[in-house]
Amino acid sequence: MEVVLASSSSGEGGIGCWDLHTGAEQLRYKSCASPSHGLVAVGARFLASSSSHLRDSLATSSLLFWSWSKPQPEVKSFPAESIQPLAANHSGTYIAGGAPSGHIYLWEVETGRLLKKWRAHFREVTCLVFSEDDSLLVSGSGDGSVRVWSLFMIFDDLRSQQATNLYEYSFSEHTLSVTDVVIGIGGCNANIVSASLDRTCKVWSLSRGTLLRNIVFPSVIDSIALDPAEHVFYAGSRDGKIFIAALNTESIVTHNYGIIDSFSNHSKSVTCLAYGMRENLLISGSEDGMVRVWNAKTRNIVRMFKHAKGPVNNILVVRRENDSSNHTSPIIQASSKKQVSNLPPPLEKYANPKDEDSNMKTIISLGGGRRSVDPLYISSHVISNYIKQFQHEGSGAASEMEMEKLKQDYQLSMQMANQWKKMYENLHQFCVKELLDGGQTRNLD
Amino acid sequence: MTRPKPNSKKHRGAVDFKKIRRKVGRKLPPPSNTTNTEIKSKAIVLPEQSVAAEKAGFAVNKKGLTLKELLQQTSHHNVKVRRDALVGIKDLFIRYPAELKLHKYASLEKLRERIGDDDKVVRKSLYDLFKVVILPGCKEDNQELIISLLMPYIFNAMTHLAVDVRIMAFDFLDLILDFYPPSFSSYAEKIFQNYEDILRGNQYYLEDKGKLKDALAGLVRCLSLLPWNKGETDLHNKGDNGRRVLHAFDIDMSTSSNGFSCIIKKLKDLVPVLINSFLEFTPLIHSMESLEGKCFGCMSSILQSIDLIVRSISYGTDKDSESPCSQGGPDVAGLDVTISSAVLKKIIPHFPLNPVHHLSERDYDRLLGLNLIIAKIFFHLNEWMSLPPNLLDTFLEFFENAMLGKLGRAAQPGKAVWEEHLVQLLPFIPKFISHGTSYWTSRLLQAFTQTFRESKPGSLLKLACLSAIEDMLTPIQNLLSMDETSNPENLELLDALLDWIRYLPMLLIQLGDKHPSCSQVALRLQLCIGQRALLNSSLVDMYDSMQYLLQDFYCTCQEGGHVSYGPFLRLPRESQELSLCSLYYFSYLDLPILKSLACCCLSADLDPYVLFRTIEILHSAYRDGHIKIADYLSVFITLVSRFKVSPEISFAGFKHPLCQTLKSMTTVLCSYMTQMGDNSLVLQMIEKAILNQIPQKPSLDNSCSLLRMLVIVDSKPTRLSEQSIIMLGHHLSEYMMNAVQCIPEGGDEQETPSIQSSAQHYYLLPCFFMFDRCHKLMSLVLKRMGSAITESSFSPISDKCTQHTWNSLIRVNAVTSVLLLMHKDAKLQQIMSLFNEDIDNIIQKVLSLQSSERKSMSIEERHKIQCAFEQLQILTE
Repeated sequence: MEVVLASSSSGEGGIGCWDLHTGAEQLRYKSCASPSHGLVAVGARFLASSSSHLRDSLATSSLLFWSWSKPQPEVKSFPAESIQPLAANHSGTYIAGGAPSGHIYLWEVETGRLLKKWRAHFREVTCLVFSEDDSLLVSGSGDGSVRVWSLFMIFDDLRSQQATNLYEYSFSEHTLSVTDVVIGIGGCNANIVSASLDRTCKVWSLSRGTLLRNIVFPSVIDSIALDPAEHVFYAGSRDGKIFIAALNTESIVTHNYGIIDSFSNHSKSVTCLAYGMRENLLISGSEDGMVRVWNAKTRNIVRMFKHAKGPVNNILVVRRENDSSNHTSPIIQASSKKQVSNLPPPLEKYANPKDEDSNMKTIISLGGGRRSVDPLYISSHVISNYIKQFQHEGSGAASEMEMEKLKQDYQLSMQMANQWKKMYENLHQFCVKELLDGGQTRNLD
Repeated sequence: MTRPKPNSKKHRGAVDFKKIRRKVGRKLPPPSNTTNTEIKSKAIVLPEQSVAAEKAGFAVNKKGLTLKELLQQTSHHNVKVRRDALVGIKDLFIRYPAELKLHKYASLEKLRERIGDDDKVVRKSLYDLFKVVILPGCKEDNQELIISLLMPYIFNAMTHLAVDVRIMAFDFLDLILDFYPPSFSSYAEKIFQNYEDILRGNQYYLEDKGKLKDALAGLVRCLSLLPWNKGETDLHNKGDNGRRVLHAFDIDMSTSSNGFSCIIKKLKDLVPVLINSFLEFTPLIHSMESLEGKCFGCMSSILQSIDLIVRSISYGTDKDSESPCSQGGPDVAGLDVTISSAVLKKIIPHFPLNPVHHLSERDYDRLLGLNLIIAKIFFHLNEWMSLPPNLLDTFLEFFENAMLGKLGRAAQPGKAVWEEHLVQLLPFIPKFISHGTSYWTSRLLQAFTQTFRESKPGSLLKLACLSAIEDMLTPIQNLLSMDETSNPENLELLDALLDWIRYLPMLLIQLGDKHPSCSQVALRLQLCIGQRALLNSSLVDMYDSMQYLLQDFYCTCQEGGHVSYGPFLRLPRESQELSLCSLYYFSYLDLPILKSLACCCLSADLDPYVLFRTIEILHSAYRDGHIKIADYLSVFITLVSRFKVSPEISFAGFKHPLCQTLKSMTTVLCSYMTQMGDNSLVLQMIEKAILNQIPQKPSLDNSCSLLRMLVIVDSKPTRLSEQSIIMLGHHLSEYMMNAVQCIPEGGDEQETPSIQSSAQHYYLLPCFFMFDRCHKLMSLVLKRMGSAITESSFSPISDKCTQHTWNSLIRVNAVTSVLLLMHKDAKLQQIMSLFNEDIDNIIQKVLSLQSSERKSMSIEERHKIQCAFEQLQILTE
């Protein structure tokens, strides 16, 4: 089931959730006031959102987790700074958050540990996105720079101390705050598209580290969605239009260079865009609180969802298992018995002191994932915990299995015994009959 | 007596047979189907047979020689003939440029033989011929081919036995490189080889320093043509981004790596030779009383060449370290040591070159130039490998003094030599700062700050300072962010930075619009600082206080209403945009700067694009909480109410660009206002300000925009106060009548009715909204309209009687059309039915007017009033 999730900063609407294909509204998750780029589905297991209080420094800002099945947020965590943009890697083991001070925080989801915190930008981080292979993190900032971070570099203490810059690339051609960044397919050779308040979208190459293209729009672009084939990208502008800009054509020298077409049915500005893979759908959220689903080919509106009065500022398309609660593995079930909820613990505020550093080795496990064959990045002690737990559970399960087996054996032998019994009885009857018959014939003789 | 005989015979004729008489001189007309086989020719010209050649149709020079002859003469054994031939060819080509086009390859093939001519004068005239005529004439052709024709002969001449010929060959090379610089890369290796050869044997012709100087200058040019020494390659690449297909595979072979190691090797061979020839010159400095200019020229060329070579080699090693797989990694490094030690041992000890005798000012200049180049070489070497610290100190001190202008008279600010070389030294400052070279940091910084302040605005030096500051931003900020301000050194850095920021607005104003490129660099720097200012509170304060100084840059409004625009308006759009972007990074924008920005926006010279950008950036700043809402709204109201749409334009065309700009600006502002949040609060804030503007009777477009702003934040049962409703009631009727009157008059002929009605609709729509929301307002307006009719009819009859009735007639018409338009609107129609009395009242007044003025009106007027009356009556039914 592919669902569309939409949230707004006002908080009254919560997170709206609709089935993309039937249009049926699902459970509405409450008390969410997310800033732009602040809503994320962590590995399709649960929802996380940062909640901002409009730069009110006194108000506490928090990170909330919802499980799919309950409208109330189940886990609340209070990071040291008010986190605005959030990103999770595809398997949902890490959450990265950007702070107004320009720091990026990286947490491990399973344990809630703050693995790393580093100064990324001179101003607030406005958007964060993981690359397709989860090895790179791309961040956009209020100072107009887009930086590319390699997680290998960030966790490699030795190399990061030696290097002059922690980042792989820093693109600073934007003159104003970056509003959105998307990354294409291709891991470390992908192309990035970034949008900014300076009315431009720029396309960068990660393999060359250069600016490939600069497209000037007639209005500020707040959101970008990339066509899966990367022929074009869609740009939602503040004047309510969705522009289509060419990526894979040679330059066409026209009046609006690079912009192929535009379509619009929004009276107000387009605040966020998402792409629904399965049916080639483009989903846009608008300032007027509506979520519109477009057919990307025909550019007609397929569906409309009413979210709230306020502006929609996040849209996610998530593929969700039909019954997420029952699908959990026995391990999670076992742990959920203890913790009641099946969500991970809240995220920590500060990084752990050094005594645990020995365990802080990140390892890459192949095929060890419980859900997918994708590589999972989990720190070693989590793995060792799991192993222990598994051993624990393992012995119990083994005896259980033994019992089961014995029971089965028992049943089998019981059946066998019954059969034998029946046979015996049959034989007995037969013999008796035979004897009697024999006696009769003899008598007759 | 024999004569008469035939006569007699005649008489006796016709004895044997009869003579047939024919008509002589007449032929039979040719049959109609014959072909004319006649060949006619006036003369046969055989020029070869003529002793004095016939040259009528040919291009000839002054002396009457053709190109062919001249070319033949260039290989004549007599020197004079050859020279004359070359002069002749020049003359011919100047006279007939077409001739050059036709025969250029042929003539080049002949002429190139003369490059190695033994005679000086011949070579000189050949050089002239090439320089003045042939090469400029071949600019558009296949330059590659021309070069390939000439090059072998030039190389040949370079190895000629006669020294003169050799040196002249370098002149030719120079000429050709000037003509087509890209040709250099394919011949680089050979060229350097030849330079090396000629310098190696220089003792033979040291006497001829003029020649040597030219050759060395050529070497400098060749070296600077090396791809990595060219600064502007990046700029070229910038131009063509976006032309590439993003996902396509393209081979980007960097041209610089092409045969790189070969060239580097040649360069390394050159260094010792150069050093030797430099050493030959040094005694001259100390011995001679007055130095020869040529001598200095040679020395500075030698030093510059060494500098360029050092730079090339360090570039090469950088490349190697990046890609260790490239050829000859360790080999290169090994050779480098020999070079650096050679430079250190042989050149550096001579530093600084001090004059022994009292010299003229020019010679001081020259010496300073030499010293500065040596310093440059040293710094380059220093970057590449760490050199002894005591030497570094000497050079840093020299550098400091150079920046402070303490080195004699020559180093005064404004001197060309000083500036030229200092510009090249300045890029080293960021490197020293980032390395943090102890106590030199602060001294260098101070000296640098002084140079920055005292250099002429718009000069190259200023530009270099600005870019050096930009380079320093990142290291300084890294240092500041690392250990705050506890470190005294960091405090100094911070102070220097603050100093520069303080000076920036002044610089921008000084630069004005005369040095757009310099302004752009300054503005980019300002933006850069703004983007990163958040790190440090004192930095933020300083950046924020910049806005007060920047007012003059945008625009200043004096109390008397006099407005003087700053340079902002006249800068190119790119700079304007940079400047606007830097506004976004102020942590707050105060009223004064907003005022001057608004003033700028109202200027007629401002491009609408920049106007919209300004509004957009202000809005972004507002959204981030950098502008107080009250200030922000007052900017809106100022823009809308004062935007000049001159009245005649407003009447003439609804579609005038200025009107359109105002319209779309209002739309943008309205949408921003709705985004602000609670509409009722916004309404409260703007209500009073707008209502203060309306009685001042701004032009139709301006008032319409004001009303639109009011309407957009109001809600269905109106939230306007009682007082303002009364006020509006007073003025709206007039506004509506104006609107109706203005439109049809202007557009009687040109505009179609639909445009006219849409224009009317545009102006009236805000009023309709208000009526819908507040019925009382409608009744007020209707009453007011009624009284407007009577007002005029009460006035006493006078001379202006006809004029007056005409006026009242117009009013009646206007009122009628307003009411008709209102009636067309379905919603208003319902509301209007509530106020039938008021409409009846108006009808009554029209009726009374009709009766009272009957006498004074013409038939036409009477008809019109009757029409209006009838139309009005329909409304009430």
